[in-house]
Amino acid sequence: MEPKKTPLHQKHIQEKGRIIDFAGWLLPVEYRSMLSEAKAARISCGIFDASHMGELLVKGPRAVDFLQKLTSNDISSLAFGRMQYNLLLNEDAGIIDDLMVYRKEKDLLCVVNASNKDKALAWLMKNSSTGIVIEDVSSKTALISLQGPTAHNIIREVFGRDFEELRYMFFLERKIEGRDILVSRSGYTAEDGFEIYTDWDEAGLWWDKFVSAGKKYGLTFCGLGARDILRIEAGYPLYGHEIDEEINPYEASLGWAVKLERKFMARDKLLKIREKELKRKRVGFIMQSRALVRQGYPVYSGASKIGEVTSGTYSPNLERFIGMAYVGKDYARIGTKISVEVRGKHYEAEIAKFSFIGPKTKKNSFKEAA
Amino acid sequence: MSIMKFAKSHEWARVDNDTAVIGITDYAQAQLGDIVFIELPKAGDSLKQSSQLGTVESTKAASELYLPLGGKVIEVNEDLINNPQWINESPQERGWMIKIKIENPAELDGLMDEVSYKEFIDKEAHT
Repeated sequence: MEPKKTPLHQKHIQEKGRIIDFAGWLLPVEYRSMLSEAKAARISCGIFDASHMGELLVKGPRAVDFLQKLTSNDISSLAFGRMQYNLLLNEDAGIIDDLMVYRKEKDLLCVVNASNKDKALAWLMKNSSTGIVIEDVSSKTALISLQGPTAHNIIREVFGRDFEELRYMFFLERKIEGRDILVSRSGYTAEDGFEIYTDWDEAGLWWDKFVSAGKKYGLTFCGLGARDILRIEAGYPLYGHEIDEEINPYEASLGWAVKLERKFMARDKLLKIREKELKRKRVGFIMQSRALVRQGYPVYSGASKIGEVTSGTYSPNLERFIGMAYVGKDYARIGTKISVEVRGKHYEAEIAKFSFIGPKTKKNSFKEAA
Repeated sequence: MSIMKFAKSHEWARVDNDTAVIGITDYAQAQLGDIVFIELPKAGDSLKQSSQLGTVESTKAASELYLPLGGKVIEVNEDLINNPQWINESPQERGWMIKIKIENPAELDGLMDEVSYKEFIDKEAHT
């Protein structure tokens, strides 16, 4: 199948982005250097094209109950204008996809991975019932992400103070200059940042406005490479690496996104899983010397193999080599010494806490009234 | 006076009498992207032409490097191990890798000079 282009494709070409095929989409992996791009997103601001992401609208008066059945977190108490990280599970509590759910006044907006969009859509349709309408708006919806400590200035200049003052995991929908936009204070970096959903055909216009407003705020074009480095630094899972249908949320260290006090499809299965010892657990680790580890590299404790790497990178912000892996539960404690085999040699590493960097999102969190 | 020679596998050799300093070209580093790891031979190793000079790893992939000339390693840029980004920043200066004593000067004839190498990469870039 011919790879698809986002509405910002020409911008990436103009900026000499190094274009790759990612999940069937032509996107820049980097413009100049993914390491400096990943640094810029923590020092000033990075601009990312995430238009490949899938957007599904769940509509109907029973939309919340319907989505609650198929997911593990709890959106029932989510106020309009708030969003939540959630997991779409199969009957066996395997992860079909992780997603962001936006609680709009009438509908629920589910933002899913590009590579999983068709699968997630099919799962929703399969479990749908009368009165539920599921609309795939991916091909009409562009997504631009501004991440970094100066992002709020750019948002203020382009959209105004209301948007700049959004709390973490809140969003605003509005018409600006006659054009519909949805802006949330969120991202995939653990940095302060915003995600801007626009009309497919208007993405270029907004992109140019951000670029122009961002000049004095150190705005830097960031590709998929930087996006991956930043999410690993943040300790965030990526489908196909840390999560898939063979992995349950507890193994993935995503138990915080499972609310067993309510009923949903995979709940009984998850209760059973909880009774037994987990076989493996997702962990983060820091290499003790220079060695870049990649998905599939074996992890050892002494001479015995205890797991496998799921993601690895050089962190330009920590100036350390870091990674994530699945290891036997006994080895998952922070501080445990492990080693990773790289091209036949063993390199020492230590289990470390997610996220590797201190999240910068908390200071903008909403303080619930006591 | 030293002369610059280039291999098709994108290594350069700065030849000075019977010694040569070796590294990878600007073109090669740009293709590789941000280099984060390098493994080099040890001083005293005797290596044949086209044998493995080492491994460089960028954020994208690991690549083998090949020796454009055979010889005995007489010096290794040890500082490069902890500063592999020098290969990106300064591939022909700070990013040098090893210095060898050339075993067989006839091997130089098989390498390109700067002009031929430029033509070679222009062609490669357009295929």
